[in-house]
Amino acid sequence: MINIQDIRETARDMLTKGEVRAVIGYRRGSRGMLAEPTFITSAEQADELVWDPTCFHNLSLYLVHDRKFLAHIRKNAEAPVAIVAKGCDARSIVVLMQEHYFKREDVYIIGVSCEGTGVLDERKLAKHLNGAQASNVAFDGGDFVFTTAEGEKRLPAREVMADRCLECRIPFPREHNIVFGEDKTGRQLEAPFAALTRFEAQGTGARWDFWSHHFDRCIRCFACRSVCPMCYCDECVVDSITFPVTTETTAEDKANRIRWIERSAVRSENITYLMTRAMHLAGRCTDCGECERACPVNVPIRLLNNKMEREAREQFGFEPGASIGGPSLVASFLDRDPGDFIR
Amino acid sequence: MEKILDKKRIDDWIAALDNWDIQGPVLEDDIWSYQPVSGAVRLDHPNTKQSPKGLAFPQREIFFKFEQIKGEAPRLTQVVPDEQRHAVFGVRPCDGRGVPRMDLVFNDHVEDNYYQARRKNVAYVGLACNKPPSANCFCLSVGGSPVSTDGLDVQMTDLGDRYFVKAITETGKGLMAAAGKLFAEPSAADQKQVKQVHAEAVAYPQRAVRNVEEVPAKLKASFKSPLWQELAQACIGCGICTFLCPTCHCFDINDEVQSKAPLKGIRVRTWDNCQFPDFTMHSSGHNPRENTGARLRQRVAHKFQYFPENFGMPQCTGCGRCISECPVGIDIINVVNKVAENAA
Ligand code: SF4
Ligand code: SF4
Ligand code: SF4
Ligand code: SF4
Ligand code: SF4
Repeated sequence: MINIQDIRETARDMLTKGEVRAVIGYRRGSRGMLAEPTFITSAEQADELVWDPTCFHNLSLYLVHDRKFLAHIRKNAEAPVAIVAKGCDARSIVVLMQEHYFKREDVYIIGVSCEGTGVLDERKLAKHLNGAQASNVAFDGGDFVFTTAEGEKRLPAREVMADRCLECRIPFPREHNIVFGEDKTGRQLEAPFAALTRFEAQGTGARWDFWSHHFDRCIRCFACRSVCPMCYCDECVVDSITFPVTTETTAEDKANRIRWIERSAVRSENITYLMTRAMHLAGRCTDCGECERACPVNVPIRLLNNKMEREAREQFGFEPGASIGGPSLVASFLDRDPGDFIR
Repeated sequence: MEKILDKKRIDDWIAALDNWDIQGPVLEDDIWSYQPVSGAVRLDHPNTKQSPKGLAFPQREIFFKFEQIKGEAPRLTQVVPDEQRHAVFGVRPCDGRGVPRMDLVFNDHVEDNYYQARRKNVAYVGLACNKPPSANCFCLSVGGSPVSTDGLDVQMTDLGDRYFVKAITETGKGLMAAAGKLFAEPSAADQKQVKQVHAEAVAYPQRAVRNVEEVPAKLKASFKSPLWQELAQACIGCGICTFLCPTCHCFDINDEVQSKAPLKGIRVRTWDNCQFPDFTMHSSGHNPRENTGARLRQRVAHKFQYFPENFGMPQCTGCGRCISECPVGIDIINVVNKVAENAA
């Protein structure tokens, strides 16, 4: 079991000594039991840190924000940033380092093991709570224990855990500077890719109907992209900012500028958006589940990313975020690749 | 006009509205949304994920089609919204109050033909909140109430096995008159019960924006406050808070080219959102709202300062969607209270 005091102590100590500029972690928010990201810069704030099954967020996104901000103000980082990272989050950090987004010494990883659990799925929970609001959640080793106005409610972890956590192969941040909690790798409650496998058991027709339905429902709020640490492109394929207009620009130039994806949230454009994003995440997505969690209309985006992840695993034995020095999927090839176009 | 409707007869009422498209709350993919309904209408929903604003202000509105064949004059064909009438059932009072706020923007301040053409064909049949359906409801503190009738054509109140149905507008009377026989006169006991239910609804504790009348001046004094960036640090810049809001109305207009030779396409209006980083991006690359703090300030000050300055009322109706749905916990009640509290 992780004692939150240990995490707080680590943060306090590093901030006091000036070893890090900030600690990115979780604190209790204003919405019932839910945690939210926090950015603490002074030792006194360390006590606000929390760790519980509502720490969904993959905070490595904020390392990306920090990098972009430093680039914008043309400054180098004066000291590293510390970050609380679960297994999947730490793997995202590794991918970012494989891609040279920042260096290992720029980040101090405070690893937290998910041990016997993982994070909650708010949608699964809502069904069990049936309108009741939980003000607190604790994990007692087998069950999640929720405090509600109607009293205490216990639910087996596997009924309300996020799918990705049920299937998680390594619920432990192997890359870390310090780590809390035991490594319980191998404790997965479902086989890897179980949800995807269940989905793919259906015929093509049923799958197409399913996706058509969901592609039509997407409202293109781009929360899935914006919450994703891997979607760091300065100009995403959906943005319309790539076109510099000068006094010389003609109406014709404007009309003919390349637009990969139109703004209309209609099936053709939504497919292009979501499929492009899935392709751009192949070998990079560490299945932190943030895109699917953030989606306000429950588009099951994880299935798309999982498909790419499984493809990379089966074809190339590739495990995203396994090691900093390791290859990145799309920037490497195998000598024994059967396709001659690549050699 | 005040009547009583047996709960079992609501489907008959809907059936009687035969030249109306009926929209009701539907639970699908674990979320509630307004969808066309034919038979049974369920009114046991909390609030819907998206507000009903899309009926008058759809996410995508085609203005006209254009076409140019080489050597000929360009041809424009206006696309006019259809005349289908929509009656939305189950509208929560906060979403009802969103309607007059949208009207101020599109009917009063300027006249937007497309909005008007759709708006005149939508009727809002509201459902009072006997108990606030979300922990983030705060209608009472922004001038509304769980039993407000503002913006609604009809207000329904759940009295257990029957609804107390009250016409608010002429359109509402028409909707009720279309099935006059289904409705009964309310008894003195019904009147008493509805008063009681409403009183309890209003007494139910809610979260609150403090001293909303003083907020505009306080925000005005806080334009340069460092709090904005502090409070917006976690914001990811997505479209959730604005797209789901019953009163956010920013849009973008684009030409979508469907074929280059011959040149063919459509001009479309789509929802846009002040939280997207490229919303105010200039083509030079300069962005006057350069960080999440400046963008959060825009969203919050629009609701709680600029709109009150222009129209004398907060634009926010307290539905709480932007709070419940923000993936990183940005909470408009906290933001307003904190900035106002720290105002010079
Ligand atoms: S996916 Fe694995 S590492 Fe990530 S939160 Fe779930 S259990 Fe933990
Ligand atoms: S899939 Fe969901 S989160 Fe992504 S853009 Fe569409 S609606 Fe938004
Ligand atoms: S904010 Fe008020 S009107 Fe809206 S759903 Fe909540 S209680 Fe009802
Ligand atoms: S406040 Fe929340 S919902 Fe709104 S843009 Fe920021 S992250 Fe998205
Ligand atoms: S600002 Fe938020 S709470 Fe207010 S009306 Fe909009 S979505 Fe609802």
